[in-house]
Amino acid sequence: MENEYFAFWASNREFAKSAVLMLGDFFTFIGKVSCFGLKALVGAFQPPLEWEFFLGQIEETGWRSLPLILAAGFALGVVMSMHTRGTLVQFGAEAMIPTLQSGAFFNELGPLVTALLVAGRVGAAIGAGLTNMRVTEQIDAIESLSVDSFKMLVVTRIVACIFVLPLLTVFMDFASLAGGFFSEHFTSHISLQLYMTSAFKTVEWANFIPPTVKTSVFGFIIGTVSGYFGYTTNEGSQGVQRAATNSVVLSSLLIIVVDVILVKVIFFFFPGQAI
Amino acid sequence: MSDPLAVEFQHVSKTFGNRNVLVDVSFKLGEGEALCILGRSGTGKTVTLKLMDGLLKPDSGKVCIESEDIAQVGEKDLSRVRRHIGFLFQSGALFDSFTVGENLALPLHRLDKTKSLPEIKQVIDETLKRVGLDHDKDKMPAELSGGMSKRAGLARALVLNPKLLLADEPTSGLDQITASEIDNLLIKVKKELHTTLVIVTHDVRSARRVADHIAILDQGRLVGFGTASELEKSDNEVVRQLVSESCI
Repeated sequence: MENEYFAFWASNREFAKSAVLMLGDFFTFIGKVSCFGLKALVGAFQPPLEWEFFLGQIEETGWRSLPLILAAGFALGVVMSMHTRGTLVQFGAEAMIPTLQSGAFFNELGPLVTALLVAGRVGAAIGAGLTNMRVTEQIDAIESLSVDSFKMLVVTRIVACIFVLPLLTVFMDFASLAGGFFSEHFTSHISLQLYMTSAFKTVEWANFIPPTVKTSVFGFIIGTVSGYFGYTTNEGSQGVQRAATNSVVLSSLLIIVVDVILVKVIFFFFPGQAI
Repeated sequence: MSDPLAVEFQHVSKTFGNRNVLVDVSFKLGEGEALCILGRSGTGKTVTLKLMDGLLKPDSGKVCIESEDIAQVGEKDLSRVRRHIGFLFQSGALFDSFTVGENLALPLHRLDKTKSLPEIKQVIDETLKRVGLDHDKDKMPAELSGGMSKRAGLARALVLNPKLLLADEPTSGLDQITASEIDNLLIKVKKELHTTLVIVTHDVRSARRVADHIAILDQGRLVGFGTASELEKSDNEVVRQLVSESCI
């Protein structure tokens, strides 16, 4: 048995070697991105604070994402309502539609979909924007003015993402409820008051606050990953394209993976939510 | 070279990975003089400029600006030194989310804390007028032509009245008339403000017009330093080729 084991590795030595190298590269990359994010967090508390640029990023990340979030939330609310109605009617439980809608969006769909949409819109913009600034020497120009370009360009973007994600999530949650009501009103002529009463009947602060606040972590992921790719890439127009793609893909993947962990953490601190 | 030294390179070397970009480069430049650095692409010309502004650090040797080795100073002292250095980047490097006026305001806000807002506005207007962009203050960089971008970049480099102006290919990609206008501006700045100029260029005609000294870099080594007429008599063929009138 032992001989077979050694024979397997001897015959696949090259494969094993490249697998180990790839694993090493992966952990090196994770280490670099983590250090990058940590540096940004430390920088956020060190003066001078770049308020002007931070507010600009709040506008770029938050205000300009709002139409997308509202439209997506409303449409998802309508679709979700249409899908659940068909099933719940069979059990005579169509009165549960608003409750189901609010539970699904406040707990999981709202935070996750908001984060994925922002990763697509803002992540790509940060990745491509910073790479373009590097390629066109704008970052060198900032450094030549003795301004900390990392703080001015990266820290402000990451902190803006951290602040803005929970706010956008709230808008997504309520837009989805509006969409759900719109769909239900035209199907069953339910009144707004009854819909809202039913929707908020089982919602507690524990259903709303922790899932909303967890999106700050998603914001940190989006800002850090996109900022890392944007700030460290310097390869012309191909680099811009690659930075934008990598920012969106990796941010989205990490958001979904980290969401699993965060849901577990929320269940640990708010056991009532897990029932 | 009786003037005090503005820039001095002492045995400066710089590598990127396995590539020796600069090898044992030494030269001196007096205050108020103009130096043009010529050489083929990839011979370390832009790296030389970035070393002068502290954007890069040498692997060995000293880069002295007004007798201060900027590779050894801390951030605070580097900031003080940079207060007197203007940098015109190859592409202009204007911040694309700012207007031309805001691009000029940034150095004034960051590096000159003594000026009030009206004074800053006045300096911006005067500087833009100097480069012929007095009607383009509110334009975004995307609205400017290549020549206008270069002039706006030059205005930003000049807004603090630097003692040392570093210009990376200020006339590249421009037509002869615009290139000549940029050269005239540089000559005017040198004469009127006694600014030391270090210009990286491929334009021999421009170098001959503006420079007091020409430095030739070849494969990271300084193979020639002197006036155009001195370099024409050089033993090195690359030097002779690069400064010869036939290159124009």
